[in-house]
Amino acid sequence: MMLALFGTAGVLAALTGGGLLAVRGIRVARGGKSDLIGPARLLAAGAIAAMAALEIALTADDFSLSYVANQHSTATPFPFDVATAWAALEGSIVLWGLVLAGFTWMAVRRYRKAPDSLAAGALAVMGGVAVFFFGLILTVSNPFEVCTSALEVGCAQSSPFPWSTVAAPAQGPGPNPLLQNHYLMAVHPPVLYLGYVGMTVPFAYAISALALGVPGPEWIRRSHRSTLVAWSFLTLGIVLGGWWAYEVLSWGGYWAWDPVENASFMPWLAATAFIHSGLVQQRRQMLQAWNFVLVIAVFSLTILGTFLTRSGTINSVHSFTQSAIGPALLGFLVLVLVGSFSLFATRSNLVSTSPRVDSFVSREGSFLANNLLLTVYGFVVLVGTIYPLLLEAFTGDQTAVGEPFFNRLAVPLSFLLLLFMGLGPVLPWRGSPPGQLWARVRAPIALGLAAGVATALWVSPVGWVVLAVTFATYVTSGIVGLLLEQSRARSAKGGQSIWREMRRVVVNDQTFWAGQMSHIGVVVVVVGIAFAANLSHHDEVTLEPGDQTEFAGYSIVYESPFQVREPNRLVRGARVTVLRGDDFVASLEPRANFYGSDTTGVVTPAVLSRPWGDLYLTLRDIDSERVELVLDTSPLIWMIWLGGILTAGGGAWSVSSRRQERALVRQSLIADV
Amino acid sequence: MSERTRTWLFLTAIATLGVVLVLTVSVQPQTESRVSHIGSRIKCPVCQGESIADSPSQMAQDMMSLIEERVAQGATDAEIETEILAAYSGAVLLDPPMSGRTLALWLAPAAVAILGLAVIVRWRRQTPESGVTTDVGRPSSRRRLIGGVVLTVAMVTIVVIAATALQDREGPAAGVANPEAQDLENVSNETLEAVIAANDDHPDINGWRLALAERYYEAGDYRSAFPHYLAVADSGVASAAEAITSLVRLGWMAYDGNEESETALTLFDRALEIDPSSQVALYLKGTVLWCGDRDADAARDMFADLLDDPELPDESRVQIEEDLADLDAGEECT
Repeated sequence: MMLALFGTAGVLAALTGGGLLAVRGIRVARGGKSDLIGPARLLAAGAIAAMAALEIALTADDFSLSYVANQHSTATPFPFDVATAWAALEGSIVLWGLVLAGFTWMAVRRYRKAPDSLAAGALAVMGGVAVFFFGLILTVSNPFEVCTSALEVGCAQSSPFPWSTVAAPAQGPGPNPLLQNHYLMAVHPPVLYLGYVGMTVPFAYAISALALGVPGPEWIRRSHRSTLVAWSFLTLGIVLGGWWAYEVLSWGGYWAWDPVENASFMPWLAATAFIHSGLVQQRRQMLQAWNFVLVIAVFSLTILGTFLTRSGTINSVHSFTQSAIGPALLGFLVLVLVGSFSLFATRSNLVSTSPRVDSFVSREGSFLANNLLLTVYGFVVLVGTIYPLLLEAFTGDQTAVGEPFFNRLAVPLSFLLLLFMGLGPVLPWRGSPPGQLWARVRAPIALGLAAGVATALWVSPVGWVVLAVTFATYVTSGIVGLLLEQSRARSAKGGQSIWREMRRVVVNDQTFWAGQMSHIGVVVVVVGIAFAANLSHHDEVTLEPGDQTEFAGYSIVYESPFQVREPNRLVRGARVTVLRGDDFVASLEPRANFYGSDTTGVVTPAVLSRPWGDLYLTLRDIDSERVELVLDTSPLIWMIWLGGILTAGGGAWSVSSRRQERALVRQSLIADV
Repeated sequence: MSERTRTWLFLTAIATLGVVLVLTVSVQPQTESRVSHIGSRIKCPVCQGESIADSPSQMAQDMMSLIEERVAQGATDAEIETEILAAYSGAVLLDPPMSGRTLALWLAPAAVAILGLAVIVRWRRQTPESGVTTDVGRPSSRRRLIGGVVLTVAMVTIVVIAATALQDREGPAAGVANPEAQDLENVSNETLEAVIAANDDHPDINGWRLALAERYYEAGDYRSAFPHYLAVADSGVASAAEAITSLVRLGWMAYDGNEESETALTLFDRALEIDPSSQVALYLKGTVLWCGDRDADAARDMFADLLDDPELPDESRVQIEEDLADLDAGEECT
């Protein structure tokens, strides 16, 4: 009861802080005077208190809270008891609120150093968004409801008033088995939320700029930078999600075009487009209107994604039970769309950008192609995700749009993007002198093709694999070639050795090279996907103890079944020895974990990782006499995780380079004069 | 080396490598088996968005082995797909066809691509002079109007869709064999057999068994029909109509196929226990009594009783009247 009171008080404080921030932010933005630091502090403190109350309740097994009673069990070990705070709808919205409060706090710190009306307006927007989310926590998604009618395990009825008579059960069922099966689950949601919620910040600056009627370099600089921050987290979050799915869901895959995966991928695509087109505005004062559209689209897509995944409209691994949060989120989405675009429409006179593209054979030309492709890509994902919903809503017909549809469109679009990824970096802004593009791409093209031929001859002649290697080599060698060209030029002009100059080249234009790091990350992912998807082996075997089977160069020996009782689960599995030739490689234990009273069990694969790829064993069935095993290989799958981390790292590195940012400001100031 | 030579060198290298690449790739073997290709295009009815090729669920595995069987029997991909979709409710194509209701799905991205390309090209074509906006500082009312209209339409659409989508819907339970909702005519006997084998403990499976058994029965294949009628009759969950049909058919097959009139009569009596006024059971019982040379008088009484039933269909009435005339004339049954 104390914790319910404490948590509810925290939510109320955060709600008040958000409200004050919104009201006062508007006042300050319009030229008035008011304190914004206090409300932001209140918001942050309230959010922290709410999260802390939830975490204390979970770690201290306080079953008087119905959330704890229904999601937690005394047997849930660390760190899953902590992660249970975001294992269900109500708690996940608290995490959302906390992350939002954190981003607002960062924006306030910035405002304190350099107060201006743009930042005040942005804080008002963030305050408004915070009011919505903490309002949700207080009403339709309240994790601080106290249990008023206990079951033997779990809670039957609850009340939002902390002073209600408490009837706490002695035990809860524990979190969803899938969510307590792997450590990545403790990390993936918070990181993803940092990306998702972080997209509020660029949106806030854009709305503030539109409302105040101050287009120009300031809003785009801040929106661009904050998008990079959120984008880096979002990238990492998506990759961690795929990794988790691979390690836990036991179908050997990492991405299935599941609506919820799509919900995170759509804002990623739009944000990636904005990262490029935002640069065009900063360097060439073009595309301002389009940039506003993109920023609004990114934020709207995060809300749409939350709606899709949290309203129960779509069946998915990620969907929680249906609740009143669906209509609330939908209403908010409509409000965001109508409000933002109406504002945008009325200010369109302010945002028309005059400079036009001089030549398509230029950096901005390739960015236009990139934006067109990413927009179409995002649209494919959007339509594919919501089309079955629309069709069912209108006609009652059940359809499904799945992997074959997405792959058919997404794969060609991805390769087209790679084509321009090889051109963009080697093209200068404004236009390229005749012959320069050819001189810069001929070697990458030749190298790419050579790598493709080598792959076809010695690795595999499968089309997608060869194509992936070809494009990856083409993009990478273009980047390396550019670095060599610039370092050599500096070295020839009386600089130091080419290797020392290389460092200088990178330091001098850090955001550019950070971007190239992300590009290399993307091609590494592409190669990983192509290999894992096209060159994997699959087999299903039934073995008795002592039996041996040959699979993909390994000998797999079934030793014995085993069963272990752990505090929160019963583990049943098979001991398997993996040999290569006669040499021992590893002992693996594919298993099924049974949590609580769950009788179906969570099948957990055993993964043996090697540089050339993974061996992936899944238990299908086991009894005392025999075991049915599913055997898979995932060649080079680690490249997907590594590439994802590189891509996110490029974004983070770019954010950390302030030096370049200052240079950009100077440039745009000069351009304005 | 001159720039010209270098260009030619690169062009030759690129062209040669390109040709070699296309040649090596084009001779690649088919990597995906037909079975997993078909499986990857069908949504598993009991899973969350997985294809039956990916899903480890029992039902998906059954469906995969069914595909395997049908591939081995030489059915085409399209045939197998149609059969599976008809046989399992909740199984839908993950790869929506480029026609009919899902055509828009394919056209929409294409439309966006064309629109985007048009905007970019137009943007480029305008000369900088004519492109400079003249309305700086003055809101364009036309633009506002258009924007407003488009937005309103979009918003109304979203709200309508969402309101509909959020309503609780009761769809058919996933994966339930559901003869009424499905067009069984397209389903081959082999597929029906496999579905029934995979779902034999399912309470709704009797409809399927009967549909299949009737096919065999009408084709004169009593041997194949027999186990299905028997399973329905013994299932204990069959409806009265299903049970009577099965018992009556079993009885007739026993008499017609094996001349076991004793068994046949027992089975008809069981059907009559369920519904003493069952016309089929009465008629067939009478026929067996007469044709089996057991009790022509009893048969005559039964036919007469049947004719008294006002609900007897006209064709049956004609048939029974003929039979009765033959009986009265003391003729052999035909």
